[in-house]
Amino acid sequence: MSASPTQAAITSPSAGLLGDAPDASSQIRFSWAPYLWFAPAIVILFLVTLYPTFFVTWLSFQKTRYYELTGFVGLANYAEVFGSSAFWDTVFVSLAYVVGSLAGALVLGMAAALVLNNAGPTGTVLRVFILFPWTLSMSVVGSIWLWLLNPSFGPIPYLMHVAGIEPGLMLGDPSLALPLIIVVTAWWSFPYVMVMATAAMQSIPKELYEAVEIDGGGAFIKFRYVTLTQILPTLGSTALTLSIMYLTLMTLIIVMTGGGPLGSTTTLSFEAFRGTVQAVNIGPTAVVSIVVLLINVALGVIYTRLTGRVTG
Amino acid sequence: MSAAVSTGRQTGRVPAILLSFVFAVVVLGPVVWALATSFKTEVEAVAVPPTLWPSAATLENYFKVFRDQSFARDFWNSVIYAVGAVAVALLVGIPAGYAAARFSFKGKRALMLVILATSMVPGVALLVPTYYLLDTLGLLNSGIVVTIILAARIIPQTVWFIANFVEAVPIEIEDSAFMDGANRFQIIWNLILPLIRPGIAAVATIGIVTTWNDYITVAVFAPEVAKRTLQVALVNQVFDAIGISWSYMMAFVVIASMPVILMFGLVQKWFISGLTAGAVKG
Repeated sequence: MSASPTQAAITSPSAGLLGDAPDASSQIRFSWAPYLWFAPAIVILFLVTLYPTFFVTWLSFQKTRYYELTGFVGLANYAEVFGSSAFWDTVFVSLAYVVGSLAGALVLGMAAALVLNNAGPTGTVLRVFILFPWTLSMSVVGSIWLWLLNPSFGPIPYLMHVAGIEPGLMLGDPSLALPLIIVVTAWWSFPYVMVMATAAMQSIPKELYEAVEIDGGGAFIKFRYVTLTQILPTLGSTALTLSIMYLTLMTLIIVMTGGGPLGSTTTLSFEAFRGTVQAVNIGPTAVVSIVVLLINVALGVIYTRLTGRVTG
Repeated sequence: MSAAVSTGRQTGRVPAILLSFVFAVVVLGPVVWALATSFKTEVEAVAVPPTLWPSAATLENYFKVFRDQSFARDFWNSVIYAVGAVAVALLVGIPAGYAAARFSFKGKRALMLVILATSMVPGVALLVPTYYLLDTLGLLNSGIVVTIILAARIIPQTVWFIANFVEAVPIEIEDSAFMDGANRFQIIWNLILPLIRPGIAAVATIGIVTTWNDYITVAVFAPEVAKRTLQVALVNQVFDAIGISWSYMMAFVVIASMPVILMFGLVQKWFISGLTAGAVKG
């Protein structure tokens, strides 16, 4: 830390004026001080996030029985996981869940943003109310929908029945469970897309719309070549944020289906959760965790590049 | 107002308003239904055909929730974890964010990258290793450990946001305070923090909502009844599906969401600015 005291300076153009100490001693003081300012945050992040990240990697190379480690096994856990068809089913369910929820949330969110943006003060007021479910916890959202979709007493199966559609088992139906969870996820998260898209739309310079008007362009041209083009970066980063969220979401699935029926809603993250609490053999669970981790980091890096958060 | 409105689309406003209400109904309908159910008797909640409004509204379900012997403790744990996690995140995030904005030193970029990297590690990937470590160290079912884990989840965004807020404060203000003899602690406490208060409020609001709503961290690392939160208690009731009373559960849902609802109503502006901060690239 004390390797280069002279490189530590204050960004302020008036660094020499700081404090009542002479310049030289203040420079020495600030050679280590900046690290101390970061130390508490770094210590917590190291203990809670970084060390367990290294540890799970190490764990994935260990032979395990319940929570006991019985020696190094190289890539055996990886071979076991990647060689099982159940794992690939889980990957497919995750992919379908993320893509389906994303499509629903983006389309509904964009539509809501456009509609409310053109509804004047009514839109401004309603926007607040529409954002509300986004603040609810996944356990609450799951409980509410579990009730709404309950095949015996729930109002939605009742309405379907009245409309002449036989509701069947709803969440208990292996071919319906995942689509229903996707619908609930889109319902919960499209308001977030709406808020992001609205913020981006409102920052579009009016001149761009006026320019289209002068050229005789209509509403569609305005939307396609001004609105959509201008908000595309925001939509992209929003889509990535949501993908990360969907990929790592467990609670909604735990509450609504418990990964079933017949594994039809078992995503990678749910599998990592189940492996942790069932604790039959945590080696393969460590492998699944690392798969989730790597996908997440990849998406996070793309997000960082896209939003330019770290430019140097 | 938006350009579209100002350019002769007034006629387009009526359908837009109607469609806005359709969106509102789709989004709020399920919530209103849950709320209505919480005021129904257990029998009416499962009546066929279902009734939208309770024929005889009752507060019995709410009383039942309050009378539950573990309710007060569950509620208190939820409060303590959420407030504690946000307090810890601010306590370590404000110095780090300030230093990131104001000091230039070797390795700063690396430090900030490490903090950013930790925000990309999902909690789900750390369930197994963290459980193993806590189990080995005998730290499962510890309120302090859960609070710190929850804090760690919001520390990266706290540091980044605080750094951005401090950067927006002109350095000249600090320089003149230095010349008046103030030390750095005084400057941060008396000058910077009041100036960035709206930003801190936004970060704290998001942080409290995030930690209050957490289920996984508490359920996995502190499963003991005495350490659980309202979210964990709610999910445990879902699992207990045989004796389930839907009207009771919807009352529980309302109560478990109440603090978040209140906060959303009171500081909705901060909530939205916290959501969009740094994420909108214009």
